[in-house]
Amino acid sequence: MMWRVLSSIFGVLALPAAAATLSVQVLDNQGVPLPQAVVYATPLDTPRPDTPAAPAVMDQIDKQFVPHILVVQRGSEVAFPNSDSIKHHVYSFSPAKTFELRLYSGTDAAPVAFDQHGTVEMGCNIHDWMLGYVKVVDTPYFAKADRQGSVTLDIPAGRYQVNLWHPRIQDNEETLVRTLDVTDSSQWTHTLSEDLLRDLSGYEKTTETFNDY
Amino acid sequence: MTTKCRLIFAGLALLLSSLVANVQAAEWQGLIQLGAQHSTGDTSFIDSGTGLLRYSEDDNPLQLYQAVLNVRQDIGSAWSVDITANGYTDGDQKLGLTQAQLEYKPLMAGPVKWRGRAGFFYPRMSLENVDVGWLSPYTYTNSYINSWIGEELRIPGLELTLYRPGRAVRSPWSWELHVGAYRGNDPLGTVISWRGFGLHDRQTLNNDRLNFAPYPSVTSYYGLWHPAWVEPFHEIDGRTGFYVGAHLAYFNQSELRYYYYDNNANPNAVNDQRLYAWDTRFHSLAWQHDFSNGTRLIGQWMSGSTLMGQRYVYADFDSVYIMLTQRFGDGRLSVRWERVEVDEDDVRPDDPNDSDGHAWTLAWRQDISEHWQWGVEWQHNTSRAANRPMLDVSSQQDSNAARLTVQYRIGAQ
Repeated sequence: MMWRVLSSIFGVLALPAAAATLSVQVLDNQGVPLPQAVVYATPLDTPRPDTPAAPAVMDQIDKQFVPHILVVQRGSEVAFPNSDSIKHHVYSFSPAKTFELRLYSGTDAAPVAFDQHGTVEMGCNIHDWMLGYVKVVDTPYFAKADRQGSVTLDIPAGRYQVNLWHPRIQDNEETLVRTLDVTDSSQWTHTLSEDLLRDLSGYEKTTETFNDY
Repeated sequence: MTTKCRLIFAGLALLLSSLVANVQAAEWQGLIQLGAQHSTGDTSFIDSGTGLLRYSEDDNPLQLYQAVLNVRQDIGSAWSVDITANGYTDGDQKLGLTQAQLEYKPLMAGPVKWRGRAGFFYPRMSLENVDVGWLSPYTYTNSYINSWIGEELRIPGLELTLYRPGRAVRSPWSWELHVGAYRGNDPLGTVISWRGFGLHDRQTLNNDRLNFAPYPSVTSYYGLWHPAWVEPFHEIDGRTGFYVGAHLAYFNQSELRYYYYDNNANPNAVNDQRLYAWDTRFHSLAWQHDFSNGTRLIGQWMSGSTLMGQRYVYADFDSVYIMLTQRFGDGRLSVRWERVEVDEDDVRPDDPNDSDGHAWTLAWRQDISEHWQWGVEWQHNTSRAANRPMLDVSSQQDSNAARLTVQYRIGAQ
């Protein structure tokens, strides 16, 4: 889709680049795949494509942010619906986007624009265990890793800066970046050197409706 | 109710009414529980008997158990008002408030945050009473411990909380520290010293009167000369009570809550109704744990003492309950075992205060729709109270209660 948009914009100016595939796998320092790792590829030689018009969605379901990690291109809008029957009070103090939203049940809040790249960590002032991330990247070429820690990006051939990110990764940021010349089929398997931060998915395992008062 | 309490209620009501035009909608929650019941054993304390249950054997089987309405209104980003009104067909006061509070919870960036609340409310000791209006979503009848808290304990005061949610600092552990200061809970301890710990779901309303049997040693001019009732939220000695509490949670899976509560009363203070300030203090430890198969375990232990007059009444009390609850589809099965003991050590042998008992409660509650639920509960308890023979009632009593309940809920669970 992105490629078609790009083609229509730049097709009259230049010959379209050939399609290529970038496959990345992220493993922890024990060799175990890291699901949900974010991989994004920023083109170095061609102009960055425009931001998509449709807002992305960060829902609140069963007193959790869904998805836990949302990746959007810089300039995107994110809608925050509330699928719970109770109120949420979403906030972020992250430098990349500071905001506050009271999400009443059955009421639509205006989408929030994310204009700076970076990591936005969100909480809920009512349900203190709720935590979610919006990762704002400066490219439309991104994906989250599957259960095998793998990502496949279908992108135009060319030179890219490829970044890895996950909230549990402690490795130095400089080790999580590669400049890759992506041709027909490029691969990058990255093994982290530091231990991952503790898995906190236990906060999402509540099966009971009633907690506290 | 004291003038101060009335002022708090009037202030909260004024605040709420002035906010009706606020752009943010108020959130309403509520429920009604009604159905059929049958209770055996001695006459209920509500009918001035020595029984521990809410209903007497000859009461109408058809009853309105609960009518609760809760409204919560935000005021800006950090403030909110939360008020719960209850209606009953039994007891002294039929319509009133069980909680009314102004809460302050600002957005804070750091790992350790604080919040506060002021008004008329329960300290968060109980892990059993977590539904709207401080009801239990598990059984209909509260445990010995929480039946007593519901009838005699309420804070007309202020609570400050320091807390650290764990997830934001990448820890499975979250903690909260609470400190509360209050006036107006001086008669706390009265009913458990004379009637003993009850088993019921009727919370005392803001200006309510709680009846018990007219034990001659209590009501006689030559005895302790006290009415056969108590109004639990009076300020009698002009002293400030306090409590401290600590919560520790592992993910949302396991939670421990400890409280130390001391109403710091002057036990020799007495008002013109002949109600005493009872110097009552206790420890409460509650634990909840969710097992991976979906079973939830809830337990609470309480141990304390109460003192009235020049050691006219002094009693130690201990109670514990353990409850297992499990969801099966739309239904929930809960079973609770508990025991209680009150031991006197005072200078008035003519006014015996020893009592003890144990109870089993079994409940099944099933959701029919978002709004409707039905359920049944069976309870058996055995109790002994040393002062019952004064009223020609055997000190040892067995009682059973069964109830069928239909519930209609508005708002979220």
